[in-house]
Amino acid sequence: MPRPGFVHEVDRSTPPVLFWRGENFSLEKLPVGRSRVIYPPEPLPAIKDIDGAIRHALLNPHDQDPLPALLFPGMKLTIAFDDVSLPLPKMRRPDIRQRVIEAVLDLVAAAGVDDVHIIAALGLHRRMHEYELRHALGDRVYDAFHPRGMLYQHDAEDHDNLTIIGTTDHGEVLEINKRAADSDLVIYVNINSVSMDGGWKSITTGLASYRCLSHHHTGETLQNTKSLMGHREHSALHKSIWRLGKVLRDHGPKLFQIESTLNTDMFPEQFSFINKREWEWTAKDRATYLGVTKGLNMLPVKARRKMFHDIQSPHQMTSVQAGETSAVHEITLAKVFEQQLVPVEGQTDILTLGIPFVSPYNPDSVMNPVLVMCMGLGYLFNMYRNKPLVREGGVIIMTHPTYRDFNPVHHPSYIDFFEQVLTDTTDPVVMGQKWEKQYAEDEWYRHLYRTGNAYHGVHPFYAWYWGAHGQQHAGKVIIVGGDAPTVRRLGFTPASTMDDAFEIASDVVGRTPTISHLHVPSLLVADVQ
Amino acid sequence: MSRLVFSRKPARFAAARLAGTLMPGRGASVGPLSLEPDETLPLPSPEWLRLRPRLAGICGSDLATVDGTASAYFDPLVSYPFTPGHEVVADVVGTDRRVVVVPVLSCITRGISPVCHACEHGHIHLCERVAFGHIEPGLQTGFCESTGGGWSHEMLAHPSQLVDVPADLSDEAAVMVEPMACAVHAAQRYTGKETVIIGAGTLGLLTLAAITATRDRERTGPVVVTARYPDQKRLAKELGADVVCSTDELPRWVRSATGSLVFGDQLTCGAPHVIDCVGSSESLQQSLQVVAPGGEVQVVGMPGNVHLELTSLWHRETAIRGCYAYRRPDFDTALELVRRFDLGRLVSATYSLKDYTDAIGHAAHAGRRGAVKIAFDMRSN
Amino acid sequence: MSDKRTASVAQLRKVAKVGDAASSALQTVLRPARNLGFPYRRPSRPKGVVMPPEKNTLGSDFDTAWARKAPARAARSVITRGPMAAMVKAIANPEVEGLDRLHDLLEQDPLPAVIFAPNHHSHVDTPLIISVMPTEFRKKLVIAAAADYFFDTRVKGTLSALALNAFPIEREVTTRKSSDELRRLIDTGWSLVIYPEGGRSPDGWGQEFKGGAAYLSGRTGVPVVPVFIDGTGSIYGKGMKRPKPGATKVVFGSPLWPEDGENTRRFNARIEAAVTALGDEALTDFWTARKNAAAGANPKLTGPEYNSWRRQWALAEHRKLGKAGQRRRQRRRWPDLG
Repeated sequence: MPRPGFVHEVDRSTPPVLFWRGENFSLEKLPVGRSRVIYPPEPLPAIKDIDGAIRHALLNPHDQDPLPALLFPGMKLTIAFDDVSLPLPKMRRPDIRQRVIEAVLDLVAAAGVDDVHIIAALGLHRRMHEYELRHALGDRVYDAFHPRGMLYQHDAEDHDNLTIIGTTDHGEVLEINKRAADSDLVIYVNINSVSMDGGWKSITTGLASYRCLSHHHTGETLQNTKSLMGHREHSALHKSIWRLGKVLRDHGPKLFQIESTLNTDMFPEQFSFINKREWEWTAKDRATYLGVTKGLNMLPVKARRKMFHDIQSPHQMTSVQAGETSAVHEITLAKVFEQQLVPVEGQTDILTLGIPFVSPYNPDSVMNPVLVMCMGLGYLFNMYRNKPLVREGGVIIMTHPTYRDFNPVHHPSYIDFFEQVLTDTTDPVVMGQKWEKQYAEDEWYRHLYRTGNAYHGVHPFYAWYWGAHGQQHAGKVIIVGGDAPTVRRLGFTPASTMDDAFEIASDVVGRTPTISHLHVPSLLVADVQ
Repeated sequence: MSRLVFSRKPARFAAARLAGTLMPGRGASVGPLSLEPDETLPLPSPEWLRLRPRLAGICGSDLATVDGTASAYFDPLVSYPFTPGHEVVADVVGTDRRVVVVPVLSCITRGISPVCHACEHGHIHLCERVAFGHIEPGLQTGFCESTGGGWSHEMLAHPSQLVDVPADLSDEAAVMVEPMACAVHAAQRYTGKETVIIGAGTLGLLTLAAITATRDRERTGPVVVTARYPDQKRLAKELGADVVCSTDELPRWVRSATGSLVFGDQLTCGAPHVIDCVGSSESLQQSLQVVAPGGEVQVVGMPGNVHLELTSLWHRETAIRGCYAYRRPDFDTALELVRRFDLGRLVSATYSLKDYTDAIGHAAHAGRRGAVKIAFDMRSN
Repeated sequence: MSDKRTASVAQLRKVAKVGDAASSALQTVLRPARNLGFPYRRPSRPKGVVMPPEKNTLGSDFDTAWARKAPARAARSVITRGPMAAMVKAIANPEVEGLDRLHDLLEQDPLPAVIFAPNHHSHVDTPLIISVMPTEFRKKLVIAAAADYFFDTRVKGTLSALALNAFPIEREVTTRKSSDELRRLIDTGWSLVIYPEGGRSPDGWGQEFKGGAAYLSGRTGVPVVPVFIDGTGSIYGKGMKRPKPGATKVVFGSPLWPEDGENTRRFNARIEAAVTALGDEALTDFWTARKNAAAGANPKLTGPEYNSWRRQWALAEHRKLGKAGQRRRQRRRWPDLG
């Protein structure tokens, strides 16, 4: 029986606590008596018969007819699926998307449907490489559909293949993939790693155009998104998306949403220490930790990166549900929170975060400085319900090497963003007004997004906006172990050790601040009372 | 009273070249440059005047000469032993005139009559009799045995070479007038479209100032300057650059400023006007990378022997055009701009002649040490 | 002509000489034992006694229990990884698909027993499937082999049991004894490869599936994994004198369990349909195969209904579509014309 997450008050006997540091780890001693570590719940058991569960979900959907009843010969069917940003790290084959899509195709074949398109719903993310498509969908689906042009990736800049569905009462235009809009049925295959994903966000961002996304992906909206991972009512982003969802439901194609949740069993046996509490580390775990960290220090950063990005995670499905989008998403959220929620009492002055080697925007790529900001202030900071773990005006301390390094194939516009925009301003609203348009309309970025494997030109802005609320909320952000000029350009303060960081923080929060540490690896959402 | 003399000593020349390659500026201590007592030079003709230099700047071409890295091209254009120094502000002996020297030696100064076609039209920098006449060969004052040079307590100049310095202008400001005149000459080709200045040393900064003086910021394309050191970046911003970036960032800035695509390393569009104030193989190659098709790379920094891949020059019909010196009227503009931008502040340090190795060492590493222009100060004795 | 003959005669003489020397040496050694009788020799049979019938230890009665003990397993592991894998790579160059369909079985602890049910064209099939299946299954794997073919002599039986862990079964009517023994093996976690066609294809087309796999699965509850092997027929099909190296493809299907109330016959039909669909998948693609399967239109492995030359003709066409069509270039040799 997996144990629930819990809050540990650091005492004199508490061993140093594990922090991510990009492509490595470190153990940091937290001050006694005023620090607490929030440990994630242990991974829930996976479903035993996954294929059976998928079939059951397709045949017994929520608020919707069973899938076979929605299918008829001669219909136009579109299957869309979540892209490479999920799950992290990539799961061992077979991927959930492959299992679900194969099960769907079995029913579709039985119904005699010929016109089937499978579309990667990647929004403004980079196009997936062939090996990534094969990993997500399996060789069978890839080999059957790709050569015939029936498996392809959404293109938010292909104006001939986008169509306007309608406009919300707030004036937001819903413009999505034309093939999906013209279909008799759209089946969306989702993986829900965090509570932010899924629901109406799947189609209204994954298959949307830049114009459509630019309504809610703005500095202002994200600054007003006070609860990205928690309550939808406090998230300006989700409210906008739900308005678009309503337009989609009323004027768009018929939808069949399939959502699935994963447990947090994220790292293979070699990294056994990651999912354990430090005082439960066995001699073997300790030896592994020492071997891994010392070994990694000796490797060049490229080799380290390759090693980590090659990890295939053993996490597995804990639930799968299908049917009407809203109904399905509520069940999904409950499941996600069942795995990730940890009740926490009150806020503290300081929040410490270890930043890992990967964020949703750099699978198989470099965690560049912009993404460090996005991961820290956008994702990990937002892992709360009700209110943030750190009080307003408090200090956020992150550990990451924050090297000035970019993947020019995946992140070309990030390089220019770092050199041109961040030297000018770090304010999301200002950069949105002054710079966003130029990047969004740059022909070269558009070309690289459409034909190469680059994120859209505007994507670094979105990554930056993601951290807008955290940036506004925190009085100071310190990065421990980062390259100093790079950290400064992000608008943060560099520190060489954790003790230095606490020393620097004392300017803002005094000599005896209270401290929360969000114990990632693994995932959790702190339910702050 | 003394002067610095550069003589023809092949062994020392080789040593300077070796030392200068290993460590720029080191050529001063091992090379053919030496401090010698002043010697009274004979006047080439009665019109010539004796000057007492007050300040004399150290220029990039001087450094190349001292380090032995200057091109052999100049060998027939100089006469040994000569006293370097062509950025000079001096007093005219026997008068109270304070002047800046126009160092280019034209037909008039050489006593050639009738003057050549270029000189007749005022293009003294393009003189067709460049090293002939009644004085020893010399490209400019400062490379000629007969005239002496600024790095001394006495030199000679033809009256046509003198530009009077207004009383309110400091010596420091006045010593910037000669390099500023070069910059004014370079900036005459400014198009008003996107412009790139590679290098933010003295010439780069002055060219930038000269362009800023002529442009309307609202109506012209951005001026992008590459700078290596923080002080250079700050000065470039002050002097009116829209973008200041490092060398490796340049292609990306030009790309996004001009909405260009990319093939290989080459931008498809680019800046119509690139001013290379460095003159190395790398800077020229980068200039070709970022220059627009049909555009022009203007070489302001002295290049010497470089290695270039010129296919893009051929394919994109771009031009590489030299830019040497100035005409006489450029000095009037230069005087005005030096005052307007308060360029006397660019003189970062002055040395007496006996400390010449330190001075040259400082000049060779000016950027890294936060300096722009280093000069010799002969005012104290 | 006469030269050749004299040479061969000389050779014969040499051989005879060596033979003489050997037999005389042997005699010298054996001389002391020459007069030894029973118990050193087989007893002579008294008159009038009735001898009990000799116990048959060949065919389906061949005892293979030793081959499942640790020493034999260790030896087999060496054989499988070394010479067998090399041989398979050299002559069959397999491409494997669908292993991900076994993922869930592999995740289970302890590892469940599985019945692999491939189609059968060639003696290459067995080494091939052994070398491409997941190692976990290979460690505890029995091959159901025709008793009348593999266990007809002691040497052949021993080698089959050692190298392949073959277990003798009858082709047509499985005896109670061998089926009980197989069930016992499956219950103790041994996986099984059984060719439901009952033997190699006589003409290159498949044969009807017999119910062995379905029966065993129904009785033991372990899943049947349908497997389609393409290309071995033209490498070393029935009747070929020596193997002709080529390319092959092995496609594993999703495991099948007998459904509630499903009899052996129906389950067998489902297994056959699954292998047929995999055959379609191997030649076309997943989607086409699924659509055909849903419409009952997968091309039959047993080939066209009609007989005569047209059947053979269709086989050639069929093979061109598959892996055998992508035959590796054979090294050409000029005939030795003396």
